Amino acid sequence: MLTYDIVIVGAGGGGLYAALETSRCKGLRVAVLTKVYPTRSHTGAAQGGINAALGNVAPDSPEKHAYDTVKGSDFLADQDAVELMCEMAPKVIREMEHMGLPFSRLSDGRIAQRPFGGASFPRTCYAADKTGHVMLQTLYEQCIRFGVEFLNEWFALSLVHNGERIAGLTAVNLRTGSIVGIRARAVILATGGHARIYWKRTSNALGNTGDGPAMALRAGVPLKDMEFVQFHPTGLRRTGILVTEGARGEGGYLINAKGERFMERYAPEKMELAPRDLVSRAIETEIMEGRGFEDEEGNKFVYLDLRHLGRKKILERLPQIRELAIDFEGVDPIEEPIPVRPTAHYSMGGIDTDKFGRTSIKGLYAVGECGCVSVHGANRLGGNSLLDIVVFGKIAGKDAVESIEGLDFVSFPEGKVKDEGERIKALFNSDGSEKLSQLRNELSDVMSEGVGIFRSEEGIRRALNKVREIKERAKKLKVYDTELTFNTNLQQTLEFLNMVEVAETIALGALERKESRGAHSRTDYPKRDDEKFLKHSIIRKGDDGELRVSWKPVVITKFPPEERKY
Amino acid sequence: MERREVTFRIKRFNPKKDVRPYYQEYKLTVTKGMTILEALQFIKDEIDPTLAFRAFCRSAICGSCAIKVNGFPKLACKTQVFTELDKFKTSLLTLEPLDNMEVIRDLIVDWDGAFEKMKELKPYLIPDPKVVPDTLDEETRVYPEELKKYDKFTDCILCTSCYSVCTATQIDEGYGGPFQLARLYRFAVDKRDGLKEERAKIGYVYDMWNCVRCEKCADVCPKHVGPVDAIMRLRGISIDIGLKDNPGARHVLAFYKSLMESGLLNEVLLPLRAKGIKGVLENLPVGVKMILKGKAHSPIMKPISEHESLVKLMKAAMEVE
Repeated sequence: MLTYDIVIVGAGGGGLYAALETSRCKGLRVAVLTKVYPTRSHTGAAQGGINAALGNVAPDSPEKHAYDTVKGSDFLADQDAVELMCEMAPKVIREMEHMGLPFSRLSDGRIAQRPFGGASFPRTCYAADKTGHVMLQTLYEQCIRFGVEFLNEWFALSLVHNGERIAGLTAVNLRTGSIVGIRARAVILATGGHARIYWKRTSNALGNTGDGPAMALRAGVPLKDMEFVQFHPTGLRRTGILVTEGARGEGGYLINAKGERFMERYAPEKMELAPRDLVSRAIETEIMEGRGFEDEEGNKFVYLDLRHLGRKKILERLPQIRELAIDFEGVDPIEEPIPVRPTAHYSMGGIDTDKFGRTSIKGLYAVGECGCVSVHGANRLGGNSLLDIVVFGKIAGKDAVESIEGLDFVSFPEGKVKDEGERIKALFNSDGSEKLSQLRNELSDVMSEGVGIFRSEEGIRRALNKVREIKERAKKLKVYDTELTFNTNLQQTLEFLNMVEVAETIALGALERKESRGAHSRTDYPKRDDEKFLKHSIIRKGDDGELRVSWKPVVITKFPPEERKY
Repeated sequence: MERREVTFRIKRFNPKKDVRPYYQEYKLTVTKGMTILEALQFIKDEIDPTLAFRAFCRSAICGSCAIKVNGFPKLACKTQVFTELDKFKTSLLTLEPLDNMEVIRDLIVDWDGAFEKMKELKPYLIPDPKVVPDTLDEETRVYPEELKKYDKFTDCILCTSCYSVCTATQIDEGYGGPFQLARLYRFAVDKRDGLKEERAKIGYVYDMWNCVRCEKCADVCPKHVGPVDAIMRLRGISIDIGLKDNPGARHVLAFYKSLMESGLLNEVLLPLRAKGIKGVLENLPVGVKMILKGKAHSPIMKPISEHESLVKLMKAAMEVE
């Protein structure tokens, strides 16, 4: 058994910011547990930037930022939390700048800002098209500076609590294979998103498998707004790998097979810089109505055309995008348009928290994509996820330090470690009549069809039933690798089991929300219904193992819901 | 849709179980566009679940999946199988773990040593209170040309490809390492840093002069960072701040002096200038042989015909730097 005052699970931007915040308080034993190495986390793949009303390019204010965020969220975000985030944004940006983050600069030396979807002003601070990468590196560097302790390549298995307070967690050290109990007075989950559920077409890393929400669910901790999954409009044709919104922010066009800038039909004012939910639906509609392209493999797509930006701008502002397009599509954006199609990208829903990152269990926090404050509501604006993780990582880190003062450890039943051991042992001993890759593909297909960009009662029901069937069949999955050292066969199986659990909540939330709002677009209920559904869906697993849906009001302060037009 | 039958010959080793590493062959049909990583995942999914490798982002930014493909470090995620087959005119690809690190299992190596070394080099900004504002109401003014000095070196994804091929790392335990020293340089030229050029002293302590400029680190870097460039510049900074009394600096200064004097390298004086009397004694046997064979030139050299323009050129180049 290991003992720490605070354990942070996940070493992306949220986890590292929380760690830095806790390191300000000397004498606390804090560990960051991560299933990869720090700097591998998916924060690094965020390309385009991070929003803050610095007003360096055009006059701006946190209030306008908050309004754009709330409107982008289709009014489902909690406005007090949004205001807090937007108010803190300029300070957090400057704090990271002071840590050495290499932001791109204006000619007068201030931080540069670019236009992004759904924003009224150029508000997105950036470092070329590697913003998340340099942010993650900078935060990690500062963690080294302040002596943060890391448990690298450890995989979290379960949360342990006594119904009121957190006692710690169990985890497996991937390098040795040993299952360990870790006592802690506070646990901060920062495990990232779960869009890997849409396995065959997603921008996500292989490990964005919803480990945090799945653990929370198993521990009886409620999840919120799980039905909202964002499809990013521009994933590469073949792989779904992300092409930053910054490409459209810099002036890129979306073009259909008739050569039209079709966004004219969907968002005449904002055009390509409408919010992501709207642009993704526009692209899918073009494809469905026969105005898309199709290649010899049967991939359907439209073009993202950057050629008119010119070589200089592309090389200066979008160098990595150019490389990705060349490496993965064989297309040089300076010479040719990039084939793109929407790709499962971001999980608006997650573990239900308040604006301090607190969950229903005292001492258990969730920050970033695995949590749901909610600041993104039904649709997140580009450039707000990097902001979310650093702001709420910071807040939760600070709150955790303050909240454990004077608190003792809660008793940690040894049996919890044994339970996880049994759960894993069963995977080695199963009959293996089901196959991991097969189930993973089936899950991906059924989720994309039933709970993808467009949804309907019939499709969602089919998806929900199928997910439940897959969950049953998953009991017959077998781990064939029997070694203790780096058993990635075991890890991938555990990750899949997490995904199936989370997938069920997405489908269930989607079924219950009989309206269209943000990324949740129901063909059978095409309108937003504020009377019935201006509220958060809450899903909790009861002691009987059944999922229960309830609802929670949305916090509205300054911005009364209005029709969302772009 | 083009398909090819490919044999992947993969080096396998579990130190906990196997006496020595061995190669295992997997045959599969690869379609055009498939990456090495997709092939590895296919093998794991469909043929052999026990194959161990690391991978995460699949988009060349997380640095997890660097392995050797036919002997050369590559990110498995962004390397297409067909490209490699065509390059080597083969239907067999050998996949092995990176060198210079212990193998934990199959294609997974132990990164800890490499990263610990980086940590020793203080790879983080220590804000200079004279430059970085003490309030969160202001940002530091950094002009685009100031950013340019280190921007390229912030592209490093810590994939350890450079470290795995570094010849200085192989022979010198005290050597800082390529990506590690590049990060050190990145802070040495960041105006916001409190140590700035003083960081060159850390480079000196960590044997930066032992880099032999083989350029392998630059060749294999999947992000085109070129750590060797940073190391050369860090050496320059060390001379600027007065760390001149060491063989490396003296060697460089001897070159410089030689060129300024005559435009030619004065090989006879080089050992004396770089290493003093010790250098002369060390090189004496070779020197004597060279004199006897008529290969050595006189220590007094006439300047080359266009010496003046060479000097002008060198000065201009130094100003640009």
